[in-house]
Amino acid sequence: MTGTGTIGAVPALQAALAAEQAAVFGYGVAGAHLSGSKLAAAEQYWTGHNEARDALAAMISKLGASPVAAQAFYQLPFAAHDATSAMALAAYLEDGVTRAYLGIVAVASARLRNFGAQAMQGPAARAAYWRGSTEAFPGLAASARLP
Amino acid sequence: MPDILPRRRLLLASATTLPLLLAAAGCRSSDVFTGPDPLAGKPQPAPDVVTLQTVIAAEENMVKLYRAAISGDSGTARARQLAPLLAQHQQHLTRLRARLVVPAGTASASPAPSASAASKAPAKVSTAQLRTAERASATNLVKQLAAVEPALAQLFASIAACDATHVIALGG
Repeated sequence: MTGTGTIGAVPALQAALAAEQAAVFGYGVAGAHLSGSKLAAAEQYWTGHNEARDALAAMISKLGASPVAAQAFYQLPFAAHDATSAMALAAYLEDGVTRAYLGIVAVASARLRNFGAQAMQGPAARAAYWRGSTEAFPGLAASARLP
Repeated sequence: MPDILPRRRLLLASATTLPLLLAAAGCRSSDVFTGPDPLAGKPQPAPDVVTLQTVIAAEENMVKLYRAAISGDSGTARARQLAPLLAQHQQHLTRLRARLVVPAGTASASPAPSASAASKAPAKVSTAQLRTAERASATNLVKQLAAVEPALAQLFASIAACDATHVIALGG
């Protein structure tokens, strides 16, 4: 913690990077159980998470820190064995990314706060897509629900 | 009784010498109040309080807008689609209001011009109008982030993200 309730920029960005890396891994698992428009959406979102991961890594390097490395394997909260559980997994992953970007909103820098707030809108929308409904407080609520 | 007298003398001596000692040390009771007279006029709200009041006023307008949209279409599929979105705006309002306790007699901050202009919801509200209002709300909330403390900034950002999902739910 630094300042009055703010958190450090690098830890917040690293947390977002880790969440993006987990999403990249998780979409690979979820996508295997999807087809048609859902699979197309998963592929599009997977690409988006890859791009966001690279952008975050570049931001962290620019701040003089080493970006956290992706893990070879992620322990997922539940198994995806059909389209329903795969969509629940995708929503779970997006909730995690949303929450991580919300963490950036607590840093002191106004520019990074803005970045975090803008960046969390994408995963919040994607989580709503997979869940089929919107949430009142994306990233804040106990939204990382298991099915 | 004889032992009381020395104590009384000590007390009297202290009462006499203490102000002299404080004066010698440059201390006065008025030094406690280094800022403006706290009893002069009604206190003005701090800037972040004004920001929160503006956000609350904007959220109240959003609720009015949804209520107007639903009341004009009650029982329809559109009303059923809008009801959960209205419920989420009401949750926003509850959470925002919980962050603000205004003491009695505090001068109220003026709501933002845009918020006061929209205080009366039109009788007929289209989905496109709701979409526009949601988009504007998300944008305005993000603009306020630097003006408030981190936890409130996160609440604003979360509500902005919710508004952004509403834009999509409304066909945006």
